[in-house]
Amino acid sequence: MSYDDYLAGDPVVITAALTGGVHGKEASPHLPETPEEIADAAEACEAAGASVVHLHARRENGERSFSRERFQELTEAVRERTDLVVQHSTGGTGAPDDIRHEPLRTDPAPDMASLDMGPLNRYQHLTSENTRGLVESLAEEMRERGIKPEMEVFNGGHLNEVHELLDRRPDLIEEPIYTTLIFGGGTTAMPTPDTFRSLVNHLPEGTQFNTLGFGQHQLPFAALGIVFGGHVRVGLEDNRYFRRGKLATNAQLVERAATLAETLERPVATPDDAREILDI
Amino acid sequence: MACPHLEYREADEERTFETARAYCTAVDAFVQPMRADICNDRYELDHTTDCEFYRNAER
Repeated sequence: MSYDDYLAGDPVVITAALTGGVHGKEASPHLPETPEEIADAAEACEAAGASVVHLHARRENGERSFSRERFQELTEAVRERTDLVVQHSTGGTGAPDDIRHEPLRTDPAPDMASLDMGPLNRYQHLTSENTRGLVESLAEEMRERGIKPEMEVFNGGHLNEVHELLDRRPDLIEEPIYTTLIFGGGTTAMPTPDTFRSLVNHLPEGTQFNTLGFGQHQLPFAALGIVFGGHVRVGLEDNRYFRRGKLATNAQLVERAATLAETLERPVATPDDAREILDI
Repeated sequence: MACPHLEYREADEERTFETARAYCTAVDAFVQPMRADICNDRYELDHTTDCEFYRNAER
């Protein structure tokens, strides 16, 4: 995708990443944790312009859960209240590989699921390994269950892994390929326009890409994604602030991304538009 | 076995929560949910090797 795709004026898919699995209400009182709170936030984000919702499940006290049962409760709550494309996270630093498959096993299956394409560091002594074996086994189960993978590219090495997987297993991922390019600190891609251009220029042919900037990078990288024909992910999982010192709500972040897209004269995708663009 | 610096509290001096949350007495702060898995030695995590707060406190 490129600036020409921007000029074509195709709709922008806005993904709302509502809660994540890293921080919780200790970081922001606006961060939803229970299925009811997450469904409330999803409904508000749909009204604000989101077409995809990225979900993590939690225990009663806000701590992480990977269980099928917790994802089932969560996805039912969101589906009852919205028409959003439902994307489950399969991320899970420190969780065994078999548990990482659980979010794929709800009924119905999620429309999409995340697929972390390689290792990333956490805190001072942890690495989320995301071995090739795990990535391939998750992709295989997604293929079997008709789930669209959202291939999360945290850095340039992970884009190598996307190419490697597509070359080695061309049967595994259906077109259009969908990747999220991730910018920020640590093992994410350097948050510079040069890095962004380089990653976009080396995507597999025909890839639809999503743009995710952590923290203060969320807004400028949303703008870059829109201008270069991509899509946008925003939400409290990745950024807690609307501006310096002012905590955001999920809906505020989605509304700002939608306003940005409309200002730049790209329409905001409806959930049905997103299904058509991503062939779901 | 869970970290000896882990407590579950509903409040500190600044905030109150409806449900008790993981609190680290080594740094005197509520911890992130992902870090709480380390405190509780869940999954394949071990606070003695994976947590810098514990390691610094035990030096």
